Parts: sequence; structure tokens; C-alpha cells
Amino acid sequence: MNNIIKAAKMDLSLVRPYWWNTLFVMLFPVVFSIMNRSLVYGVSFTMCFIGMTTSYTFSISEKNGMERLYGILPVPKKHMVIGRYLYTCAVGTVALLFSLVVDSIVLYKWASVEITAEGVITSALTGIVMFTLYTVFSLPMYYKFGAIKGRYFMFIPVAGYLAILWVISNINVELDPVISGLLDNNIVFIAAVLSVCIIAFSLSVFASVRIVRNKEV
Amino acid sequence: MTNYLEVSNLSKAFKNFELRDISFSLPKGYIMGLIGPNGSGKTTTIKLILNIMKRESGEIKIMGMDNRIDENTVKSNLGVVFDSNCYCDDWTVAQTEKSVSAFYKNWDKSRFSSLLSRFHIETKKKVKELSKGMQMKLMLACAFSYDAKLLILDEPTSGLDPVSRDELLSILSEYIEDGEHSVLFSTHITGDLERAADYITYINGGELFYSGSKDDFVNMFCIVKGGREELSAELNKKAVGIRKFSTGFEALVKTEDLKLFSHFNIEPAKIEDIVVFTNTKGESYE
Repeated sequence: MNNIIKAAKMDLSLVRPYWWNTLFVMLFPVVFSIMNRSLVYGVSFTMCFIGMTTSYTFSISEKNGMERLYGILPVPKKHMVIGRYLYTCAVGTVALLFSLVVDSIVLYKWASVEITAEGVITSALTGIVMFTLYTVFSLPMYYKFGAIKGRYFMFIPVAGYLAILWVISNINVELDPVISGLLDNNIVFIAAVLSVCIIAFSLSVFASVRIVRNKEV
Repeated sequence: MTNYLEVSNLSKAFKNFELRDISFSLPKGYIMGLIGPNGSGKTTTIKLILNIMKRESGEIKIMGMDNRIDENTVKSNLGVVFDSNCYCDDWTVAQTEKSVSAFYKNWDKSRFSSLLSRFHIETKKKVKELSKGMQMKLMLACAFSYDAKLLILDEPTSGLDPVSRDELLSILSEYIEDGEHSVLFSTHITGDLERAADYITYINGGELFYSGSKDDFVNMFCIVKGGREELSAELNKKAVGIRKFSTGFEALVKTEDLKLFSHFNIEPAKIEDIVVFTNTKGESYE
């Protein structure tokens, strides 16, 4: 665990010069939130944008040839990879909390939108799903193809997300009783969504570790 | 004699290049020069030693430990200086220390500070603001701060001015003085090795040409010089490499064959001569 935290800290120090850019990225979706008078919109956009900034660590390390440094550190490759995921999740958590707080205040103060606990939970859940969708696919691709080529694979989750929306809105399907049950029970639904996100992240970590183990510098 | 590095029958194949059956060993307390022309396999050998590239066959032992099985223990005793900076160029020197030192249990903060003052490196400076020589010294300072027993340098002197190169060689000589440290020094600037190296490993075209003491290596060959008309068929046959000029020739011959050519002008060979001649058979400079 110690090595994982050290690796995450190293990633944090890599993006230090870009903190202001990241803050700007987080503020920008507030405008979307006001325009649409919706907390879900603001949080979703923030999490999508932050998901896109996960390539920073890869770009910086690639630019500086830091794979060589990672290769000589006395740390298992697996720990370095998990450290990067920890850093990514930490940034995602900060962005989620930031957007929930800032967007809620802005919507309430300037758009007179009522903020409910249900709305906050829905927004948080949507944000987590969006962030998971973006990162679980792109991180292994960054490891495999590098920061520039890997960026193209970010469109996979977007396409998948749009396809799901299209299916839901255009096809009148009878919902499976299991799914209906999930949707009826809020707690179970939240737990199910979070579990799916955790499983997706675990599979993503597993894939990334395999890629890094087989990669040659 | 304890070996800090033992490479046995190391092989690795690429699409257009193959490193074949490389074996050498570096004893504790000595400097070994890893030489060869560009693309001969020096960097591949180093990458295989560092396990950042996967070997196809062979064995690599560092301080008696397998470089794959005991990877983390091996790497905590290994210092590496690459041909270019491997730290984030936006980091300051202090940030570099903070990020790197976290991974080494025996990191000596005071030693790092004293090395920085010795090398005239300011802690507030960003890595990108340091000259190439200073960046190399920063990598050295890091390696020395956790008392790396084996130091591996991959062409550290390429792009350095003569003063910085001389300084690096002094640092390396000082580093092995206590007999507890060893250095593997890859370079194609062979002049650096004439001064610093005790052993030479020469890789050419992916194959091991020689590995052993530097003095034996240099004494193995001599340079034979003569007029163009003196270049006999026998010399052509016996020479390891020949360079022909409009006025005459220079040939690298094995010392054991020297008695056949004692009537020629004979000079001792330098490492550079051996590397150049073993890559030029009958080249003409007319």
C-alpha cells in the first residue's frame, strides 16, 4: 500500500504545474449547469472533462521519457499502475465534490433552482458513472498505445453511452423484472451502480497491469 | 573475487537485429566499459540488465541475485544514469528528491544535499533549467544518495563538453575507491575508458567481441603502418581491419601475428582504433 501511495503522490507532483488548468476545467461546466438549470448536467460535464485530464500524467511522463525512471525504481510495476489509478480516483473524487458543492451553490443563488438530496445523489451517481466510463477504457489504452494514440479510445465510452441513450429512447422494451426491482429500490440501485463501477475499475486495473508487465521500454 | 554483475548467454531478437549469446561479468570494485558502434546492442544489453526489456534467453545476476526474481531488491542497489534526463523537467531539484527518495529506504538526505553543493546544483532550479551535464550530475547525486552498489551509465558522456566528461570520470573513480562499488559504463567515446575503465566488454553487431581486462584488450592488437606498395597479401589476410590512404595504409593486427610484420612501423592500438578497425575491412580513403 505504501508504494501505491508513493506512486500516486509522484503522479500528483507530475501534474502540479497544471493545477490551474484543471481548476478551469472544473469551473467551465458550471456554465452548462446554469444554462440547463440542472445539477446533473453540471456534474456530468465536470466528470467527463476531468476524465479527459487523466491523460496528463501519461503525456508528461511520455514527454520526459519517465518510463525509464519507473523502470529503475525498486517498486513492482503493479504498484505503479495501481498508484496511477489511485491518483485518478482521488482527482475524480475531488472534482465530484467540487462540482456538487459549487454547482449547487451557483444554481441555488443565481438560477433559483431548488437543490434536493435526491438531486444531489442522482447527480453524484451520474458523475461517477460518467467518470468510470471515461477512465476504465482510456487508462489501459494509454498504457498500451501512449497518451496521443490512446486518446482516440476515449470515444468508445462516448459511443457506448450514446448508443444506450438511443436504445432507451427509441425502443419500447419491457424492462427485465430484475432491472425494474433495482430501479424501484433506491439503496439497492445505488449499491448496484457503485458495484458495477468498482468491478469496471478492477477489470481496468487488471488489464493495465498486464499491459505494463508485457511492455518494453 | 565477488562479481556484482554476471551476464550469461543473454539473447534477444528484434525484427531487424539480434543480440546473441552475450556473456560477461563485472567484479566488485571495478569499472567496466561497454563499447561498440551505434546500434551494436549496448543499450539493449543495459535495458535487459535493468529488466525494462524482456530477455529471450540467458541469465542476469546482480550482486548474486536474479534481476527478475529479486527485481526490487536488485533495483534498490542499482543506480542508473541515462543519456538524457529521466525526471519530469517541470520538477525542481527539491521536488525531484522528494519524489524519488520516497522509494528508497536508505536515502541519505544529508548526502544528497552535500552532493548538490559539491556539484553546484541549486535546489530551487527546475530540472529543465539545468544543463545536460548538471542533469547527469543530478541523476548521479540521486544514485549516490541511496548508496547504489552498482552504477549503470548508458552513454552519459554523449553531448557533454570535455570539462564535464573529465569531471564525471573523476566522480566515478572516486565512487569505486572504497572497493564496494562497481560501474558499468556504456559509451562510444572510447577515450573516456582509456582513463577510467578496468575492464572492457566490446559488443559488435549484436555479438560479443571481447570481454576482459582493458590492458589485455589493448595489448591484443597493434597498429601496423606502411607505404601502399608494402601492403602484402599476407598482411591483408592477417589484418583485423585495414584503412588505405593514397600515401599508405594502417592495419590493425593481432599482437601474436606481429612477428610477421616486424619490419613495418608499429604503434600500440587504442580502444578507438580497435573499434574502428574491427568495423572497417579494407576501407579506402583515397
